[in-house]
Amino acid sequence: MTLLDVRGLSASYGKVQALFDCSFSVGDGEFVALLGANGAGKTTMLRALSGIARSSGTISFDGQRLDARPPEERLRLGIAHVPQGRGTFAEFTVDENLSLGAITLSDAAQVRRDKERWYQTFPRLRERRNRLAGNLSGGEQQMLAVARALMSRPKLLMCDEPSLGLAPAITAEIFEIFKDLHKRHRMTLLVVEQNADLTLQFADTAFVIETGHIVATSPAHEMLHNQDIQKSYLGV
Amino acid sequence: MSLFFQLVVSGLASGAIYAALAIALVLIFRATSIVNFGQGEMATFSAYCTWQMINWGVPVWLSLLICLAASFIVGIIVFRSFIQPLIGAPIEAMVVVTLGLFVLFQAVTMWIWGADQRAFPSIFPDGGIAIGGVQVRISALGTLLALAIAALSIGLVFRFTRLGLSMRASAYDRTKSMLVGIKVQRMLMLGWGLAAVIGMIAAVLIAPRLLLSPTMMTPILFYGLAAATLGGWDSPFGAVVGGLLVGVAESLGGSYLPMVGAELRIVVPIALTLIILLVKPVGLFGSYKVTKL
Amino acid sequence: MNSRSLPTFIKVGAAAIALIAPVFLPDFLLFEVCIALSYSIAVLGLNLLMGFAGQICLAQGALFGFGAYVTAYLNAEFGLSPYWTLPAAAVLTAAAGLAVGLPALRLQGLQLAIITFGIAAAFPQALLKFDWLTGGVSGLPIDSLETPAPFAGRPELWLYLVTVACAGVAVLLVSLVLFGDTGRTLRAQRDNAQIAEALGVNLTKVRLWAFGISSALAGLGGGVFAILNGFISPQSFLAAVSINIVIASIVGGTTTITGAFIGGLFIVFVPTWTSDINLALGNVIYGLALIGVMMISGNGVVGLVKKLVCGMLQTTSGNVPSLKSIQGRKQWIALRK
Ligand SMILES: Nc1ncnc2c1ncn2[C@@H]1O[C@H](COP(=O)(O)OP(=O)(O)O)[C@@H](O)[C@H]1O
Ligand SMILES: [Mg+2]
Repeated sequence: MTLLDVRGLSASYGKVQALFDCSFSVGDGEFVALLGANGAGKTTMLRALSGIARSSGTISFDGQRLDARPPEERLRLGIAHVPQGRGTFAEFTVDENLSLGAITLSDAAQVRRDKERWYQTFPRLRERRNRLAGNLSGGEQQMLAVARALMSRPKLLMCDEPSLGLAPAITAEIFEIFKDLHKRHRMTLLVVEQNADLTLQFADTAFVIETGHIVATSPAHEMLHNQDIQKSYLGV
Repeated sequence: MSLFFQLVVSGLASGAIYAALAIALVLIFRATSIVNFGQGEMATFSAYCTWQMINWGVPVWLSLLICLAASFIVGIIVFRSFIQPLIGAPIEAMVVVTLGLFVLFQAVTMWIWGADQRAFPSIFPDGGIAIGGVQVRISALGTLLALAIAALSIGLVFRFTRLGLSMRASAYDRTKSMLVGIKVQRMLMLGWGLAAVIGMIAAVLIAPRLLLSPTMMTPILFYGLAAATLGGWDSPFGAVVGGLLVGVAESLGGSYLPMVGAELRIVVPIALTLIILLVKPVGLFGSYKVTKL
Repeated sequence: MNSRSLPTFIKVGAAAIALIAPVFLPDFLLFEVCIALSYSIAVLGLNLLMGFAGQICLAQGALFGFGAYVTAYLNAEFGLSPYWTLPAAAVLTAAAGLAVGLPALRLQGLQLAIITFGIAAAFPQALLKFDWLTGGVSGLPIDSLETPAPFAGRPELWLYLVTVACAGVAVLLVSLVLFGDTGRTLRAQRDNAQIAEALGVNLTKVRLWAFGISSALAGLGGGVFAILNGFISPQSFLAAVSINIVIASIVGGTTTITGAFIGGLFIVFVPTWTSDINLALGNVIYGLALIGVMMISGNGVVGLVKKLVCGMLQTTSGNVPSLKSIQGRKQWIALRK
């Protein structure tokens, strides 16, 4: 079953067009990798999907049209977006960051239970729950950003370059968490990466985006062994 | 020594008013990176509305409540009609727009009520009480108490409620706040409304002392700006401390420094602010994020 | 001057209008124009400081007043001819401006704005306090200008020419500063102080220079203002003057020379017009006009005209490198070599 369906999506910054007529779909429970070189338009794609960048074209999610809706409604419908870089509120405590993640939910008891659950998944965050997010290490901040996104109880988790600036061991840890979310909780994931090799090991499907066009789509394991695609688009 | 304490107490009472205005300025600055030069005149307008209702025979407390609510709405209307359309415009444009608010509100007040001064009833009883040999006016204590209540309730709302958290987050980072599902524009709007309410509190506290006039808050605005700068433009707590410091410094400096005297007492808060900024360029409790106008 | 300059024909046209204006204008209007020009000179200084050096100063009105008082004092106390007081006003105000600019070496933006606003608020109080020097509330008189014989019939015309000449000097000075190396240095430190410093710009020197020149122009404008009025008192130099000068600068457009004159005319004439429309509602309309202008064009009137004119003519003249972009930085380094 299709969870996210994108048709003819275009986006631009002023006169610079960043996405050209992109179409793709993501199945329910699928782990999708969105790959591409620097400046290809990956971040713009996620921003258009979560509604913080203007775009044209149609976006359907869970049977509903999203394209005319503001970001907060898309979040309520189940799209969570972990932005590129440090996606946390640096001057707020870890605990407040998690509360912010659940700011659209009104059931306080449920929010408390969810926090507990993600503290279990990310025990390092629990130890630092009253520290300012800005004082955490890069890896911890990335985990906090992911946990914060999960607090909104999303159906689709979109994550923009989670490995950026992190040590390989920490990146691996984060991808293990993605795998766990995917396998055990049947969460749908859309992960943007430049690190193709790593991502393709975890993902089901991969899209390659180049200068704003989607230029390749294939099952992840095929792409992992397809030298042509890797050479021409990902510069490996 | 008794004179000294007398001066400190009266300085604190003025300072409480500067602090209230500074809180209003800081709330708006944090939320929208705008210095609202019109804040004081908006407050004067609210105070006039209150005066008008009292004059019509409405009980004082009811007038105050109604006008606080009305101020909130005026703040929202100002945001919706003049500020929201300009979000993202160059900062200079914003400066002129808020100066335009200054001119506009002063002119509207003048137009409706004229330039004459009016007596504004004090909400506190007359007289004073002796504390440790120092005679303290009840109105001074009441002013301080009002500031404490206002500041404390804002602090509590900001720290412990979902609404407060959303407002703080919107002020901190609009894009990230949108991503977690906060209706950022609505939060900014609430910030403007809240600031108008606090500004009005400052105006009705000072009105009995200065007499109500359309330009009543103009000099107070400067002290509010100095207090916000001294405390740090992104810290409401700093605004309170800054306001009290400015009030006390002005009161002591005006009396104890002969070359300053009554005419030049305004120099004291400027000098104090300058000295503190030279040591800490972002103000006592400010963070390094804020430097641009 | 900006990355786009107004087409020359508009500038020439404006100059031509300035020259023939006095023939048509009645005396009282001519006088108002002169007052506007005297403010414009101060606004021009502020544009240099705010638009190009990126330093905010809300004390320009106080410096304007300082220049006016230097002129009046030298004339009243030493009998110096009003003409000769003008350079003195410029030089002494520049010195005062350097003192005002000292905090600017450490402060910037909002903090600097508030401190300088404090100076503007304290200035009229200081005038009252030091009444043995300034005449206190009663102010100081200034002799009227000796009018050369051909203008004896209409001294207002001579006043106008003197004012225009002073404005011309101011424009010349600012142009010299902006189009030379100094201008590039100014913009560089505004766009990115750290990089500019790494490229060998002496920030202290550049910022003080900017304050000095800007203040000199404020002083010159103030001197002209004093001569025009023939009498000054603290009432003419309240903090509101500083605010008006800032409004003029922004409404005109902070990064243009033309804008300074549009701004000066704006703050003198628009309030008059709006109270002509309706006396009681004059300032209400003025407040709305201020807000309206900025809502229509965030870059001020000149920005708006440029957008319209350049849009029509498709003229984009020489881009000025900006340190905001990488390319700009490279260009800038190349230019310095
Ligand atoms: N804020 C912006 N303003 C203008 N252009 C932008 C902006 N953000 C990105 N771009 C341009 O859009 C294109 C796509 O950028 P982006 O989506 O960030 O790429 P990626 O995330 O794949 O590295 C790039 O050419 C980039 O220069
Ligand atoms: Mg990116």
